[in-house]
Amino acid sequence: MLAQKLHLLRHNFLSFVSSRTGSDLTRRQYDVIVVGGGHAGTEAAAAAARLGAETLLITQKITTIGALSCNPSLGGVGKGQLVREVDALDGLCGRAGDWAGVHFSILNRSKGPAVWGPRAQLDRERYRQFIQSELLSTPRLTVLEGSVDELLVSQPNPEEPGHHRVTGIRLVDGSHPILSSSVVLTTGTFLSGSLFMGQTTSPGGRIGDVPSCAGLSYTLKETLGLRVGRLRTGTPPRIVKESVDLSLAQLQAPDKQPTPFSFLNTHTRCKPEEQLPCYLTHTTPGVETVVRESVHLNCHIQQDTKGPRYCPSIESRVLRFPGRRHQVWLEPEGLTSDLLYPQGLSMTMPPDLQLRLLREIPALHRAEIRTPGYGVQYDFVCPTQLTPSLQVKSTQGLFLAGQINGTTGYEEAAAQGLWAGVNAGRTALSLPPMALSRTQSYIGVLIDDLVGRGVTEPYRMFTSRAEFRTYLRPDNADLRLTPRGFEEVGCVTLRRYEKAVSVRDGLQEALMALQSVALSSTRWREKLGNISLSENKSTTLNGLDLLQYKDVSFEMLASAFPECLSPYFEYSQRLKIEAVYRPHCEKQSREMERIRREESLSLPSDMDYLSLPVSLSQEVREILDRVRPNTLGAATRLPGMTPAGIVQLLNYVLRTGQRNRHTEHRNQSSQKEGGKGQLCASNIPISQ
Amino acid sequence: MLPCTSWGLWRSAILTLKTFRASPSRRGLCIPTRAVCDAETIFALSSGHGRCGVAVVRVSGPASSMVLRNMAGLTQALPSPRTALLRRITDPQSKELLDRGLVLWFQGPHSFTGEDSAEFHIHGGPAVITAVLQALGSLEGVRPAEAGEFTRRAFHAGKLGLTEVEGLGDLIHAETEAQRRQALRQMDGELGRLYQDWGYRLKRCLAHVEAFIDFSEDELIEDGVLNQVDSSVRQLEAEIERHLKDERRGERLRSGVQVVIAGATNAGKSSLLNTLCQRPAAIVSPIAGTTRDIVETSLDIGGFPVLLSDTAGLRDSSDSVEREGVRRARQRVEQADLTLVVVDSTQLPPDPQLVPAFLQEHLSTVLPSPSPEAGMEAASDRVLLVLNKSDLVPEEQRERTEGELRESTGLPPACFLSCYTSTGLEDFLTVLQSRVKTLCGDPLSGAPSLTQARHRAHLQQSVQALIQYHQYRDQDLALAAEGVRLALTHLGRITGRVGAEEILDIIFRDFCIGK
Repeated sequence: MLAQKLHLLRHNFLSFVSSRTGSDLTRRQYDVIVVGGGHAGTEAAAAAARLGAETLLITQKITTIGALSCNPSLGGVGKGQLVREVDALDGLCGRAGDWAGVHFSILNRSKGPAVWGPRAQLDRERYRQFIQSELLSTPRLTVLEGSVDELLVSQPNPEEPGHHRVTGIRLVDGSHPILSSSVVLTTGTFLSGSLFMGQTTSPGGRIGDVPSCAGLSYTLKETLGLRVGRLRTGTPPRIVKESVDLSLAQLQAPDKQPTPFSFLNTHTRCKPEEQLPCYLTHTTPGVETVVRESVHLNCHIQQDTKGPRYCPSIESRVLRFPGRRHQVWLEPEGLTSDLLYPQGLSMTMPPDLQLRLLREIPALHRAEIRTPGYGVQYDFVCPTQLTPSLQVKSTQGLFLAGQINGTTGYEEAAAQGLWAGVNAGRTALSLPPMALSRTQSYIGVLIDDLVGRGVTEPYRMFTSRAEFRTYLRPDNADLRLTPRGFEEVGCVTLRRYEKAVSVRDGLQEALMALQSVALSSTRWREKLGNISLSENKSTTLNGLDLLQYKDVSFEMLASAFPECLSPYFEYSQRLKIEAVYRPHCEKQSREMERIRREESLSLPSDMDYLSLPVSLSQEVREILDRVRPNTLGAATRLPGMTPAGIVQLLNYVLRTGQRNRHTEHRNQSSQKEGGKGQLCASNIPISQ
Repeated sequence: MLPCTSWGLWRSAILTLKTFRASPSRRGLCIPTRAVCDAETIFALSSGHGRCGVAVVRVSGPASSMVLRNMAGLTQALPSPRTALLRRITDPQSKELLDRGLVLWFQGPHSFTGEDSAEFHIHGGPAVITAVLQALGSLEGVRPAEAGEFTRRAFHAGKLGLTEVEGLGDLIHAETEAQRRQALRQMDGELGRLYQDWGYRLKRCLAHVEAFIDFSEDELIEDGVLNQVDSSVRQLEAEIERHLKDERRGERLRSGVQVVIAGATNAGKSSLLNTLCQRPAAIVSPIAGTTRDIVETSLDIGGFPVLLSDTAGLRDSSDSVEREGVRRARQRVEQADLTLVVVDSTQLPPDPQLVPAFLQEHLSTVLPSPSPEAGMEAASDRVLLVLNKSDLVPEEQRERTEGELRESTGLPPACFLSCYTSTGLEDFLTVLQSRVKTLCGDPLSGAPSLTQARHRAHLQQSVQALIQYHQYRDQDLALAAEGVRLALTHLGRITGRVGAEEILDIIFRDFCIGK
């Protein structure tokens, strides 16, 4: 498959060029228009097209589609889980990572499979190639180069909640409008973006690209009245590889055997021996001195009055945690690139000082900078104004995904993009919107946190945000999401579905086989040699019980019962993981059930909380009015909400039967989720 | 803070009702092979905690029959349902005789909760009640009920009528309020500080484990973070265990209805205390601000135990000792079951028509601002107005004022009284007694032994969870972290819930985490 890709790319390049200008468009009306060609935009466009929607992707520059504008890597702890889930729903980034990766490693190897973090360093060029060729070979997807000037809105459909309805967009070149049923905005840092370096600031969202989105900003803020906030981010200088003394840094080798991100791939494009190393080095007291001396020349840092809790730049690191060594990773930018990416050295001071700072680090004492680091400040739309389908509550058909919602990171953007694309497609095809549960996926956790709680700093995924972390594992993302993605959502292709189903059935059989072999612990000891079992002699244990033990592997059991277990060798790692976490997941199933039920109870989005005739305190009314939670689950997680308040609310809603069609749809889909979607969750019936 | 405790349970009940039908049997990978029983068995003292002849302890849940067998020595058949049986009630472990009493068996669904249930009608002394509750708590799979849990289960089983369902919000509010007051009392003082300290240390442990999981691969998380957690967890475990074993260390729980006397300086609060306990327990003088600390005395009012507290007069003061006294007074009022607000009648407006508004205004300065949904209605159940020094007010004016107060709504009952001449004392005592009786008959006003049993159960589960941390520490850090999380959840049931954001706050404060 991978070998064909390049051929495809060349083949498709012609049609690609032909769709570059607006006048060449074959149609003026699409089901879905996606604005932006970053991680969110590409996933959104591909997902909408997979669903069967005629989709148009509009981007400023076709050549930057799929560009990695910051770090040349994908995945990590928490983020790797997102990549696996996007892949399980047939998204692009997992396969792109396998195609473009040049250094693969599973982080957190020693800490338990639930928190393993699949990660790869990427070749920027290959990543872009893959994404571009993939998009161009996607049926029903057209790519157009241009800048969107205006979002077209009209009166809402009275049967659905909302004050406006999106009808399409108009391009900057003033040409006639392009119409659509849904629009997905993934404009990243380009909403009122400004770039910072030293004391100079200039408008823009990414260096080298023209500033844009002024018209869009206006529509969002003025016409639609959306609340926006301002966030900042930054990127480090890129260093000429030749100028670095790598002998003074610590070599970090990749895994000997690369593990692919995608459930479809058995190996990565990069051969194990072709992988590139990373290097680790540390800051010195000299770095701190340069930062302190340059603070007065650094607008970005000076304005950092109410910064995030974490440290986005080297400046904030040394100012907040002085007198410490900080890690700097020197990462390859690709197989043929002559640059290194210094992860951990994001900075916004003037370029000459950036050079001085770098050279305070021994390995970088002769370093040359190719492009200096800079900071970006940009507007984001407060995501509490979105529904769990990522649609703007007030505007039918308008979806937002990625940094525009206040997140940071490729993986977070891709995850939202995919889900926004799915729902934009569904809306265009007159299907009800869908939500992902936080009990089922990290994508669900991400979206629920965003729309339920909002953000005060760029939102990044951590495993500690997921209360069901031991169930939401990277190894079982396919079982959790792929069947549902095919059967209900429609974003998964048949090929992937069939593969996931065969894996599911295989695992199921293997688990039954394991449970069918039962011996007393004495007999197990005889069979497997000297293993330490805590149970007393007479206890009977089956294979699955035994597999929970640290020293017992599936291979050991299979050698004891070859006829019964050897057919399942290919699943040995997954079976081991399943055995270890199973008892724990069972214990959590009650809590999962509760959260799922709450998520399935929607609150009408047009509810007038301020005058609701129930006994609610003014304080609670105001909280509800401001946040307008989508579901009862979201309402219970609001700070300041009281138990009695929730019950009053629920009683009122049930009594008046105020739920409109939209909400009923969501109820149905969520209930379904409890059925088919719940693959791996132990579904113990509530027997009270 | 504490209302969260029973909250999860309530929500799930209400929601189950809604999505009742949506539980098709499904095939899936992780379907447990064993039938895991979801419902735990709960128990609670269902009668009030006053001095009563008979106390009723209710048990509900699948293990009820086991409980009955074990505690009532019924080795063979269970008694026929809904028939009282006189049995020796023994401790299931030590077989020690606890009491002789009636036991009843209700087979589900023919019970209040719709589940298998049992009732123990035992003698009403605190020692017997405590012993029986502790014995119940020692049985596996049996735990003290959270506030409102019996009602929740009844609701769940469809045993409550529509009107009762509609009143659920108020009911939950009342129960969480009662639990909050009870918790405030327990948390006041050394015990509270101890739990808070454990909570804080556990939070830090969890934050550091989480930091190690989420960030140690990319950031410089100092070596030895986990070793520190190991020893902190071990220490916490030992401390909680020691606390559980050493019962004497637990503070004496203040039992009885908490009645607090409050009001402005020199209104005659201490005189009221002395009058009620018929001895000069508190110093009285014409000097404003004589009482600076809380003076406590145990009383018997109409056969019910009452803990009466006299507090410092409420006023702004520059004296730091008096300010502390006022702070304590306000705190005590917040924890009270019943507050006697004493007003100097000579300070009332001479025009009787203005009195209700004046008193309303006065109450708002004495009582804590009502919690969002309580409103004045709930407060008026827990307040009595004592208009002292009635001997200094002309008879005619007093009568007109009384008439005016009878007409007015929204004010708690008011009694004219003279501590000096004892005029009006008898009427006042009648009102007070009926109020105390209502409070005592209400199991919600907090049986300390039950709260203590709840705390014990959560602490025990906390320790169990910490053991899980050590079990998995080297094998799987994600599972080890779950142990700390679980321990914190249980402790949070006592001290207040801990959210993911709080843990992240500690992580970002203690470690330098990059983009």
